[in-house]
Order: sequence, then structure tokens, then C-alpha cells
Amino acid sequence: MQNKFLLSILISLISLSNYSCASKKISQRIIVASSGKIESIDPARANTLKTIQLLNSLGDTLYELNANGELIPKLALEMPTISKNGLQIIINLRKNVFFHDGTLFNADAFKFTFERFKRIGTMNYILGDKIKSIEAPSDYKIIINLKKPSSSLNGLLTSVNLTPISPTFYKNYSDKFLNEQFVGTGKYILRRFSNEIQVIDPNLEYWGKFPNNKGINFVGYANSSSLFGALKSKQIDVLLSNSIDDIQIDSLRLLSKNKKLREGNSPATEISFISFRTNIHPLNNLNVRLALAKSLNRKFISKKVSYGLRIPSRSIVPPIFKNGNQNLWPKYDPSEAKKLLQKEGYCNGNLLNIPLTYRSNVPADKLIALTWQEEIKAVLNDCIEIKLNAVESTTIYKNLSLGIYTAVILDWKGAYSDPEAYLTPLLSCSEIDNGVCKKGEAVYSGSFWGSNKVEKLFLESEKVIGDKRLNKLLEIEKIAANSIPYVPIWISSQKAWSQIKISKPTFNGAGIISLSDLKLINE
Amino acid sequence: MSRDLNKILNYSVLKLSLIPLMLWVISTLVFILLRIAPGDPVDAILGSGADAVSREILRNRLGLNESLLSQYLNYINNILHLNLGLSLSTEEPVLTIILKSLPATLELGFFSILSAILIGVTLGFIGLRYKGKKGDYIIRIIGIASYAIPPFWGAMLAQLIFSVYFNIFPIGGRFPVFQHQNHITGFLVLDSFLSNNFIGLRESLYHLALPSLTLGFLLSGIFSRSLRINLDKSLKSDYVNAAITRGVSRRRIILNHALPNALLPIVTISGLTIASLAGGALLFEVTFSWPGIALRLHEAISQRDYTLVQGIVIITSLLIVSLNLLVDILIALLDPRIEY
Repeated sequence: MQNKFLLSILISLISLSNYSCASKKISQRIIVASSGKIESIDPARANTLKTIQLLNSLGDTLYELNANGELIPKLALEMPTISKNGLQIIINLRKNVFFHDGTLFNADAFKFTFERFKRIGTMNYILGDKIKSIEAPSDYKIIINLKKPSSSLNGLLTSVNLTPISPTFYKNYSDKFLNEQFVGTGKYILRRFSNEIQVIDPNLEYWGKFPNNKGINFVGYANSSSLFGALKSKQIDVLLSNSIDDIQIDSLRLLSKNKKLREGNSPATEISFISFRTNIHPLNNLNVRLALAKSLNRKFISKKVSYGLRIPSRSIVPPIFKNGNQNLWPKYDPSEAKKLLQKEGYCNGNLLNIPLTYRSNVPADKLIALTWQEEIKAVLNDCIEIKLNAVESTTIYKNLSLGIYTAVILDWKGAYSDPEAYLTPLLSCSEIDNGVCKKGEAVYSGSFWGSNKVEKLFLESEKVIGDKRLNKLLEIEKIAANSIPYVPIWISSQKAWSQIKISKPTFNGAGIISLSDLKLINE
Repeated sequence: MSRDLNKILNYSVLKLSLIPLMLWVISTLVFILLRIAPGDPVDAILGSGADAVSREILRNRLGLNESLLSQYLNYINNILHLNLGLSLSTEEPVLTIILKSLPATLELGFFSILSAILIGVTLGFIGLRYKGKKGDYIIRIIGIASYAIPPFWGAMLAQLIFSVYFNIFPIGGRFPVFQHQNHITGFLVLDSFLSNNFIGLRESLYHLALPSLTLGFLLSGIFSRSLRINLDKSLKSDYVNAAITRGVSRRRIILNHALPNALLPIVTISGLTIASLAGGALLFEVTFSWPGIALRLHEAISQRDYTLVQGIVIITSLLIVSLNLLVDILIALLDPRIEY
């Protein structure tokens, strides 16, 4: 009786195995999975990486950063022309481009998109106070009138938030969001939308190169173990790494090394750093900040926390956005750190107490904090004591400008593809008093550090282009590296893995996956 | 009999009249707790990069700059007008979001309770059949283990074994990503019936199977233990002995006499289990990426979406109280000894 019962369970399991998820997939479509859901597909509301990844396939921006970090025109016909006084940017647009609803893309459409974003966009603060107005003097020409010269505007025009949308389709939504539909000019058309699953089909009328696949089903899972399991059990074709754990990333890397998966990496664009509150004792002392910067063993932290997956960085601007990978911040040197602290009266019984706050909902932050704390215990035990303090991220963001945190671990990814998108949010300050920022971005990133020289260089950088501009921005970064309001830890890239039957995932320079390049190998 | 019905009716009216008071207490508590909890919806929406002006504009737009008293009075006024407000993060009506997510949770809850009863009752019967033997001990151990296992761990284990290792069940979600299901009521199993979509029915049940069977198994222990104990007690009672002496068959004794009495506590347990499901479902929905109300609540809390959290808590409380009232009435109808 018992044997029969066991046998019947076994037979049921075998029959269910035959009905497994992997074997059922008969579609030629590619299933791409990532973490979380998409609340809205409206470009004016897009503020999550997942939404940006999808929107990039459904629409085109005027410019895009390619994998080599070069700005290339997409809906713009060529690079913009800047007027002599630097206050006008003239952009000629591509002709014969159609929106998914059949209407024509033109200057009025871009003007509509831009003004809508400026009016209702969740992240419209990225426009800053640069743009006075936008004109459409002819069907395929736009003129952007600036309040002051701004060479960073080209980078801003790569922002997915400014993806042109059809004015006809969005007629009733010019002042409100349209969350579940999208009509742009991109390689794919949005066929079906729910918060968890989005289905996109190739746009047969696309003006450029057609997608390599017959469509993508974009799916979200609520946790990283489901994503990891789904890829391993072949229930999905491609996995985007936007929030899976480092240990799982390491395991997938091993599988790709063994040719069981294909791994694609984007250029590194997300920086992790420690923000120091520089306006109050003890971190108002430059030597103390310098000592702390020299006590940070980035290689060790990267190895212990991320299995060496994240690149130790001594810069706050990703290498793709500047000429080369300059290491500007001081390198790990505990003996030099000790000397500096002794000079300031610390060590030998007088400990420098540093409360270090980390985001409790970001596992890597906790591990960074713990590893640094242990490293300090091992090499600077008689000089520094780090006390850890876990706070949820939204609370940290709220309290940063209140000056509550002495030192806090944060990360940042620029809202658009430009070095300025990294420097301004950390270093810009509109009101400086004796090296202390009273009002401005530096307050919101918790450092309260301000420099008139930096502000001057920011203004100068807006008036020049190319290498000259990059050099100005590098100068700004050097000043920050010498003053140490922040200490960069590492820089991370987006990763994606595909099953062996799918081509290797590729990314553009902004770290956005190119869904249209995914291809079934046996097709 | 009519006097009993009157009593039940009076009891129900009394309970129903307490619901508004209870909802007021719950909604006030949720309002206060959310406001004293650290974090801010504006920061959750804009992140750390936004400037003061943008924050201020959004804060004004969301009505967060008003005094707490004014926010509270608006909130209570809206509830009185059956308006749960707009979600702070999506700006969609809260009721629409709840109505979109609730069917998924109710469907999972229904099938889980059904599985729990089926598994529990079957194991309870088998345990009693082999009382004092090896089978009985195994079933008792299974029963104890099932309610000792933390739901999140059970869910992860089931997912790992059946979805990743054996690849028998989907890893998550309610429906295959490459198929489309028409939404009529939001209950996918029911919708498949209504639209004569048998492939849809198969897929819905297939996606429901692992989460509902796992949750059902974890809840089954209490049913199997309760049935075994109560049925054993009933089989030793005088009315059963009387039936045996009258020559009634064992099958009839169990089905007609002992079982109905043994099942009464199970109805009570079902009511309590429904309440505990509300907590357990949260972890289950997150693990199985089940797009229900608990997963929505989890997201709303992390986004500090005050209005959505408030709305979900109120509706969930209302559902639990209504279901408990229903169970009370059912018990009173089934057991004439119960008086209210």
C-alpha cells in the first residue's frame, strides 16, 4: 500500500517535470527579467533604472552615448550648433521619423515633450535653471534658448526623460501622466503593459536598424533569489542585474566562465562613496578627513564585499565620462593616516570617534561599513573608532540636509550621461560662507562643503566644449580630491546574463541594455 | 429556532455597529504610525539628488505641507465619503490599486485555505486510522513541523526545490509571461471559466499550485492535529457508543455522527487562519512575486506611500472583521449549543 502511494507520487512528479516551465516555451520571443515592477511608462515620470531600460527601447532620444562614451545623434541629425554668445543651441532633426501612432516626429513634438517634462516631470530638477525657452522655427529645427551658456546640455539631451512622445496621442495628457501606454518613435512598440509584465514588439516602421529579435517580454520579480532561480532553471532568457545580490552575481559569473551563460557588462556608471559632514568637528579638520581617506582599503573592501566585482575607485566621475581613469583621491596608506591623526592630537589613548551611517536596506552598504570598521580595528586601533549606525535609505535622504550624519555611505548615478551629472549634485553650492555650503546641492548630499573656486570653474566649464571642458571639470574634481568632502569607494556597472541560446547582452555608454541586439542564436 | 435567529441577528448587528469604530481606531493608528515613522514620501519619489525647490513643489502637490491635523481631518473626511484618496507615488486612486491587487490575494488565500483543509483533514484521518502506529507518528511530526516552519523559509525552500531544482513549477507570477489573459473579475481562475479559456485555466492553476500548496501545507498542521484530536474524542463519546450498539456501520458513525461534531472547531480555526493569512501572505507574495495586495503593501511601505498603506490596511481590516463575523454566524448556525 505504502509502495503504491510512493510510486504514484513519483509518477506525478515525473509527469509534472515533463510539463516543466522551460519545455513549455515555444515562443520565439525573448524573456528579459529584472527586479521590481514598473509603475508608469510615462517618460516624464521615469525615475527607476528598470523603466529607463524599457523606455530606451520604446523611444529615441535626440542623442545617445555609445559604448565608447561618444555622444552620437539619434533623432537629431547631427551634433548641435552653439551660437557665438553660447546662449542658443540649434539642433536639426531627423526627417521621415514616425511615432508608433503614425504621426510625424518634428520640432513641435520635441517642444511638446520638453515643455511637458518641465511642467510635470518628476525629475524635472535635472533641467536646473539653464533653459529659458525652446523654439520650433521650422518643422525640423529646434532652438534652445539658454539663460547662461551650458555645454552640458548635450548630455542632458540623452536623458530618457526627454524621449519625444506623440503630441496627438498625449493630447489629453499634457498636464498629467499616462502610466500604462507609450507612443514614441523607438525600435519597439508597447503591445501590453501591466506593472509586472510588459510586452514589446518590433516596430516595423522604424527609421533605423531593425531589432534582431521577434519581441521581448519584460518581466519583474519581487526578489533577487527568484530572479537568480529563474535564470538557473531557464524560465527566463536574460537577467538584468539591477538589484541582485553580489554572491549571486559571483555565481552567475562563474557559470558564464564555464560557458553555461553569456555575461554582458555595461561601462561602470554608479559610484559608491562616503559623504563627510565637513562643517562640524571633527570632520571640519582637513587632516582628519585625509586620514580617514587614507584608512580606506578599497581593494580589500571590494574583495570581501563584492567578490572583486566592483571596481575600487579614487574618483567620483566614471571613467567613461572623462579622458582616462584618473585616480585623484589619496590611496590607502594607514601609516600616513596615523601620522596625520597624531599631528592632530589623536592616537595613544585619544580616539577619533566617527559615527558611520549606512543604509540598512542596502546589503552592500552594511558590509562596506563592517569591513572598514574591522580594517580600522586591525591597523588603526589606537587612533580611530568607528561606530555603526543603520538607517533606512528614505530616512537618510530626508535627514542629509539637516546635517545629522557625520559620515554616511551613499551611491549616485548621474541622471544623464555627462561628468557634470556627477559633479554638480555633489559639489555645487549657491551660498558659501568660509568654505561651508549654506545652500545648494552640497547641503543635500550631506557634506556642506563649498568652494568659490569650484563654482567659478563650473561657470567656466559651461562656456567651453570638448577637452577644454573636460579639463575644467577635472580641475573641479582635483579640488574635491584635495579637500575630501567625499571619499569614493567603488564604481559599479550593470550586468546582464543570457542563456547560451541567446546572444551576449550589450549596453550603451549610459549603462542601458540594448534589447534590440538580443538575438536567438539558432534563429 | 426563530428566537435563536433573532439572537444571531442581534449579535450580528452589534458586531456590525462596532466595525466603524474599529475602522476609525485602526485608520487613526495607521495615520499616526506612518507619520512618526522615519522617512518621507518625497525622498522616496525624488531620491537624494533633488534640490530644495523640487522637494517643496512636490511636497505642496502631495499636500504634505499642511498641518498634521489638517491632513488627518482631510483623511477622515475622505474615508467618510468612501474616498481613499490618491496614491502618493503613482497618483492613481488608491481604491483602483486595491481592486487591481486584491483578487490575486483572495484567489491565493482561497486556494491556500482549501489546500490546508484538504491536506489537514486527509492527514488527520490517516493519523487516526493508524493511531499509535508509525504512520500516526510521522503525520504528527509533519503536522508539528508544518506550523513550526516560518512561512518565508517554507516558501523559499519550496521555490528552490520545485521551481529551481526540479523545474516543475513557475518561479513566480500569476500567469505565463508569453500569454495574455483577459481580466474580467481579476480572479484568473474564474475569468478563465467565464471566457471559456481552458488554456488560461490550466495556466492559472499551474501558477497557483506551488504558492497555494506550500501555504496550504504550512497551515495544514493545525487542521490535521485538531481533526485528529476532536474526531478521536467524538469517537469515544456516548452517542457513538450508542450508535455502535445499535449496529450502525463504522463508516456511517464517522461521517454522520462523529465528523460533524469534530469539524466544528475546524470552522473556528479557519476563521483564525484567515486572519493569520493576512500576515503570512506578505512574505509569500514577496517570495513568489505574486502581484497581490500584500506585495503592494510591502512596496507602499518602502515608498512611504501614506495614502496607499492607509487604504490597504483599512480594506484588509474590513475584510478580516467581516470574515470573522461570518465565521461566528456560521458556528452559531451549526452548533445549537452556542449562544450569543
